[in-house]
Amino acid sequence: LATTTKDLNVAVIVKLEPDFSEGNVSYNADGTLNRAETKSILGPHSAIASNAAFYAKVKYGARVAVGTMGPPIAESALQQAQLLCDADELHLYSDRIFAGADTLATAEVLKAGVSKVEGGKVDIVFSGHRASDGETGQTGPQTAWKLGYTFLGNVIDYDVDLQSRLVRARRLISLQGFYDVIEEVEAPLPVFISTDPSYKAFFNTVSQRLAFERYQKEAKSRAENYKQFLKVLNTQQLGINPKLVGLPGSPTIVYKVERIPKAKASRKAEVIDGTNRDLIARVAANMYEVLEGMVIK
Amino acid sequence: MMSKHQHLYVVIEHEDGIPVPVSLEMLGEARRLIDDFNKKYSSDEKVVALVLGHNVRKLCEELIFYGADAVIYADSPELRYRRNLIDTKVISQIARNREIVAEFSGISDFVKPRYMFFGADSIGRHLSSTVLAELESGLASDINKLVIEDLEIKHEHKTKGQPMIYEKTLEMYRPDFSGFLWTTILCLDNRNPAIEREYHPQACSIIPGVFAPIEPDKSRRGVIVDYVPEFEERDLQVRIIDRKIVKSAVDFDSHKAVISFGKGIKDSPEQNIKLVSELAKEIDAEVGISLPISKKPFPVSQGINSTYMIPDRVIGTSGRKVAPLLYIAVGISGAMQHIAGMKESGFIVAINPDENSPIRDECDIFIRGRMEDVIPLLIEELKKQRPTVEVKK
Repeated sequence: LATTTKDLNVAVIVKLEPDFSEGNVSYNADGTLNRAETKSILGPHSAIASNAAFYAKVKYGARVAVGTMGPPIAESALQQAQLLCDADELHLYSDRIFAGADTLATAEVLKAGVSKVEGGKVDIVFSGHRASDGETGQTGPQTAWKLGYTFLGNVIDYDVDLQSRLVRARRLISLQGFYDVIEEVEAPLPVFISTDPSYKAFFNTVSQRLAFERYQKEAKSRAENYKQFLKVLNTQQLGINPKLVGLPGSPTIVYKVERIPKAKASRKAEVIDGTNRDLIARVAANMYEVLEGMVIK
Repeated sequence: MMSKHQHLYVVIEHEDGIPVPVSLEMLGEARRLIDDFNKKYSSDEKVVALVLGHNVRKLCEELIFYGADAVIYADSPELRYRRNLIDTKVISQIARNREIVAEFSGISDFVKPRYMFFGADSIGRHLSSTVLAELESGLASDINKLVIEDLEIKHEHKTKGQPMIYEKTLEMYRPDFSGFLWTTILCLDNRNPAIEREYHPQACSIIPGVFAPIEPDKSRRGVIVDYVPEFEERDLQVRIIDRKIVKSAVDFDSHKAVISFGKGIKDSPEQNIKLVSELAKEIDAEVGISLPISKKPFPVSQGINSTYMIPDRVIGTSGRKVAPLLYIAVGISGAMQHIAGMKESGFIVAINPDENSPIRDECDIFIRGRMEDVIPLLIEELKKQRPTVEVKK
């Protein structure tokens, strides 16, 4: 195996999330998530971020570290991410006082964590688009800002020029009411990339494809022994000011949670039998009339 | 009494001077909130629009018609297109600038804005995050209701368990990922002496399509304050090399019909999604999904996965709000969060085997049946009738 080069260090920030796939997810009678009965997995957007880090490994021989904040069980997210990106190091930032953190307080921990990788010499940090439970999409950019890294969001692909230490990335921006824009941006390292859900890695050359297979194999055997690569770090080891993390360090609180009220029935439906061809034919006619701008009464 | 934290700042997004709709929607809501606020607290706080751009003064004038009392305008060729790094710095400079505030509200001991709004879209979502990281305050995302009130708070950390009144608190309501719950987020100072800390502005990103803009009033008067931004040489090394306009992969606005599917596809997800897309082709409809589908609950092929099961297609409070002439809901039970995104549609048809689904109260025609049976029949009939009634594009 080719040894990884010191030319590029990358880190991935991931999250353990509820598994929303059928069979693994469980809902309460009122439609809310039953967290106790729902399994957890590496979040789907975290998986995309891990793939983006793997690209850096295959193409540039980057050293890869994966980090997550959470209770001990969150190490399963690190293991799953390692399988995807052949991580050289796994970091679990775990301390009771981190619990209940909002995005700003979470970013404080993640910043400290990334600063511990390779003596703080991380060139690219990857994160997913958003978590599928919290769904704020704020933690990535806030971590980037605290690190002092240029934030590039919605990245669909990227490349690095190791000579000039520049990243070129393409970003997908949706402008509400206008159109989408694919923007190509160039930025000096270090950068923080959050991957778009449509991120894709392209491995064009034979040697890249061979490296891909090699690292993938390595990832498999590493993930089987992931504990060898795992470091668990607490507040003290991360050198964090406890006032800036967890509940004490969170500007925001959840004040109340309520059910979204059900609106009154707004329409009176005509119910028809879906196997009755004549009725369906009439619906088809109605559809064309509506599309022609005629009002159906 | 003067306050260190005053006014509501709204970060405007625009494309070369044309406002993105959520910008005007935010201004409308800001106007309503601040009018009530000033009445209730006998004060004179302002709605302040922030514009970063180049040669877009006309937009600044327009924003006053749409409810801004003041517009802070940072004009530079460097600000024509959005770059998170320099935008964050310019907005943060402005948010901390007392001289600018003096231009529209007299001398005060202003330190930072009281409230701040951003659009919850691919630019505002990130920009709000980095700006609030820089200003070191709290941010709630994807808000669809706002209230300002005095609240009694008793919190283990914030108040050390003591009841305390927080005046003029912005209650930020956000629908959660289930679509069934509404969470109210507050951004509060730490008054507990052990961790004492001030947190302003109280900020949020606002879901596009939720709030109504006000009727533009050309007689409204306001102040435009020019701000000359300062850039660091290093920051300008982040360069936009190329910018290509592409047709949105998902384009609800230019289609007369939208057809959405939900968890009812579960018996054979791959085949059913193909059926839906076939029906969509037949009537030139854009395809939407319900929120649970964006969590990829079913295994499908890679192509279907990346084309259909994506957040951009979600219709509802956590996604897009649409109002096509024709809306077809397939295998969607009708959670409130979905209904909110489609109820303004002209004519609504639901296809569902369960006559007791809530969607029945929200549609004009409820076709009782399995989509596997109904859609092929419907497609057949649409094809049959096509020659006589041609759909105009």
